[in-house]
Amino acid sequence: MEAMFTNLGIGFTEVFKLQAVTIAGVSMTLPFNILMCLIGVILGTLIGVLPGIGPVATIAMLLPVTFNLSPIAALIMLAGIYYGAQYGGSTSAILVNLPGESSSVVTCLDGYQMARRGRAGPALATAAIGSFFAGCVATLVVAMFAPPLAEVALKFGPAEYFSLMVLGLVSSVVLASGSLVKAIGMVILGLLLGLAGTDVNSGVLRFSFGLAEMADGIGFFTVAMGMFGIAEIISNLEQKEHREVFTDKVSHLWPTADDFRRIFGPILRGTIFGCCLGILPGGGALLSSFGAYTIEKKISRNSREFGKGAIEGVAAPESANNAGAQTSFIPLLTLGIPSNAVMALMIGAMMIQGIAPGPQVMTERPQLFWGMIASMWVGNLMLVLLNLPMIGVWIKLLTVPYRILYPSILVFMSVGVFSISNQPFDCFLMALFGLFGYVCVKLECEPAPLILGFILGPLMEENLRRAMLLSRGDPFVFISPSKPISLGFLIASALLLIVIALPALRKKRDEAFAGEEHG
Amino acid sequence: MQRLLLLLALAGAVAPAWSQAWPARPLRLVVPYAPGGPVDISARLLAARLQQGLGQPVVPENRPGAGGNIGVDLIAKGPADGYNLVMSAIATLAINPSLYSSLPYDPLKDLRHVTLLVQVPNVLIVRPDLPAKSVPELIALGKSRPGKLDFGSGSTGSTGHLAGEMFKMVTGTYMVHIPYKGSAPALADMMAGRIDLMFDNLASALPSIKSEKVRALAVTTRKRTDFLPGLPTLDESGLKGFDMTTWWGVSVAARTPQPVVDRLSAEILKAMDSPDMRERLRGMGSEPPAIRTPDHFAAFVAAELKTYTGLVRRSGAKVD
Amino acid sequence: MKIKSPRDFWAGLMFIAFGLFFLLVAQFNYQMGSAVRMGPGYFPSVLGAILAVLGGIVLFNSFLIAGTPVPKFHFRPVIFVLISGLAFAYLLKPLGLVLATIALVFISAYGGHEFRWKEVAILSAVLVIFSVVVFVKGLTLPFPICPSFVEICPIR
Repeated sequence: MEAMFTNLGIGFTEVFKLQAVTIAGVSMTLPFNILMCLIGVILGTLIGVLPGIGPVATIAMLLPVTFNLSPIAALIMLAGIYYGAQYGGSTSAILVNLPGESSSVVTCLDGYQMARRGRAGPALATAAIGSFFAGCVATLVVAMFAPPLAEVALKFGPAEYFSLMVLGLVSSVVLASGSLVKAIGMVILGLLLGLAGTDVNSGVLRFSFGLAEMADGIGFFTVAMGMFGIAEIISNLEQKEHREVFTDKVSHLWPTADDFRRIFGPILRGTIFGCCLGILPGGGALLSSFGAYTIEKKISRNSREFGKGAIEGVAAPESANNAGAQTSFIPLLTLGIPSNAVMALMIGAMMIQGIAPGPQVMTERPQLFWGMIASMWVGNLMLVLLNLPMIGVWIKLLTVPYRILYPSILVFMSVGVFSISNQPFDCFLMALFGLFGYVCVKLECEPAPLILGFILGPLMEENLRRAMLLSRGDPFVFISPSKPISLGFLIASALLLIVIALPALRKKRDEAFAGEEHG
Repeated sequence: MQRLLLLLALAGAVAPAWSQAWPARPLRLVVPYAPGGPVDISARLLAARLQQGLGQPVVPENRPGAGGNIGVDLIAKGPADGYNLVMSAIATLAINPSLYSSLPYDPLKDLRHVTLLVQVPNVLIVRPDLPAKSVPELIALGKSRPGKLDFGSGSTGSTGHLAGEMFKMVTGTYMVHIPYKGSAPALADMMAGRIDLMFDNLASALPSIKSEKVRALAVTTRKRTDFLPGLPTLDESGLKGFDMTTWWGVSVAARTPQPVVDRLSAEILKAMDSPDMRERLRGMGSEPPAIRTPDHFAAFVAAELKTYTGLVRRSGAKVD
Repeated sequence: MKIKSPRDFWAGLMFIAFGLFFLLVAQFNYQMGSAVRMGPGYFPSVLGAILAVLGGIVLFNSFLIAGTPVPKFHFRPVIFVLISGLAFAYLLKPLGLVLATIALVFISAYGGHEFRWKEVAILSAVLVIFSVVVFVKGLTLPFPICPSFVEICPIR
């Protein structure tokens, strides 16, 4: 414990260190590292708000700039971009129903509904507060338990991941607020769409229809922008009476005392949940926001409000995804294993700075290691200080007439999706998914379960087939006592399935009887 | 006078790029992969440097898809004006022609290969608790337990996979190939003891080797590597002639004029030879390649293409 | 038999269509393999079949359980919004970011309820400046600003 405080002391000294720098020929003494952190989080927030331009592309583009910085300044800035984007992503999700990041898909569900009911302010504040709390806790977790948690992460093999995905899929059904069967259908359709592209195991191109552009499958942004963004714009445009969708409905900016009471538990649980899943390199952080939402929806007293603007539905996933974003640094810092594309880039940034990532960083370069951890805390503080006053500005944005707002959103979406592979095809696909999303709105089929299936499908198949290969085809590998984690997840899935199915079955029976009486 | 100026300006605007000294406008450097990988990072390093030498911006453009084939095809079929460059690599020039059932370009006829940038050795690593401490011991272990050992790789048809197939072939062992999405998850599974061995490129494996989370048995190049001088080569360990590296470089369309290719090659080499650039690339596991002329690079590509065509056929790997 | 829930009726048909589509494409093109060594066709076939069955359940239920009718489709916003996005995508490389953005704004604005020339013109000017400054200059996206036939672009 004491050692940790000493270490954090080293880190904070490093972060606030005054350095002599020369900018444009003028030499001056500045707390340079902290400045880089500020630039990082501002930039991160910006790209998080802009749909389609993710942290991966931004960090890649900024890499050449970081060559002239010291390793610590470079890493602090890049990390700032990463978690800054998590904050920014929730802003566009709440304001205009655009998930800027895969983890903000769930935030759309209730955040956007809150905005539609004039409660964008409390939603944004909740997201910022929840993220800040989660960020602080998760940073402490990274500082205190990084090495033992990395060992836990290694316990997860293909079998464990597959079972975790199954649990994730079962719980995804809870995301839907309407018909259960249709929600399952959408999950499966999402799984199928996720399979398009080159099969990892055999190299066969599936569902690509001879198009070279489809060889790498369908991009997440393409589907999310289409089904959430475009479909929403079309739906809004058809409503004559709601021309100015949000105007003059904005009541207050800050959550009420009742709101605070309601978000306390969800933030706490979301944080714990996010911290746990974030350490898993194989897609854990991705699941954390979905999982946190599911838990709240099942245990909350206001579960009927979920999907219609429940503040818990913003607090839990936002806390979880930010906690996960911080703890996903653990595999990188302790094992040298990146848990996602951003982390892979951080490894690249370290390597060209001449640092081999891995456990030796902690002992060989304590300033760098602890400086980075300290910077995460400082960065989170900056983000919350930056985002809370910004809420007023964002709310103003909603008073802009919709006829001005939607062409602007379309420009940002199109630029973002085009930039993924710099060719028109992705925009074509986005339009196609926009049309499909509009049809789904008409048929009351919800897009969130589809998106989750889409993300999990390839991961699930890959791990299933790898587990089968490794066990030479033993199907009991998932439930053998030698794999207690996998077994536990599958039991939990089965229990959850029963919990979900029981009330639905009862309701259906009632409806069927009611239908007969009337028919 | 004004009209004359306007005319001049118009003439300047429509005159073909050729009448001016190359380069007269920004260059495009196509990276046929998503942002963030080692090829992308080195392209961005190079672009920033090259700009100083050429006096024109060099803009990296990611065109991912089909294992890099889409981006390379774009340049192979594009204008041969020296303004369109592509990051070509062992995958797109030597492996994919036989791995993919149909490739839209011919790596030798449609492209002019300018400079080899990076050559990274592969290393043979095993999980730390595997009883084999050397290559001969590993071969013996593989022979005593046919079909029991698992070897991982970053993807089907990657150099890691093909090196493993080559190893199986020359040693007469049988091991099961477990493909992953990138070598990082494979490394994680190896640290946890779920897979037994893999051929990984030095840059990604080095941290885990240094921290003894995995054990290196040999390097796949003909000569030992500076990074791990104590590590024997496969050639020394009894597999005569085993020589595989992961490499990438810069190519342009085939009919690009020779003076442009020469200038480009000279400028790229100048950029690569600068001490800070060397330092950065060394961080990525690359030693400066010995191949320094366009013709030499082209001959190297042709030789590699031949090697890997045979190897892919025999491994049975296929993408279509 | 009377359709009591048109929304479920069509949703059921949609699921059946998608399910059969994936099932058949997988069956005819990819190897199934076995449960031990699953081929590329295994997962999509199983999932396609499940989806078709689920679709069947939804379809069946639509005859039993009363639901709401399918709301009217509005083709004007659909057409203009989708075309504006496509126009941007396919015009960006040949005509450059400036003209592609203008095209997107004008076409999409035409899909709305009121179209005011002056307002749309100002909006597109603002968005053009924003895109050039933020995306091309700031984030260095490799987009051409001017049409490809203009050899020397005034904005560099």
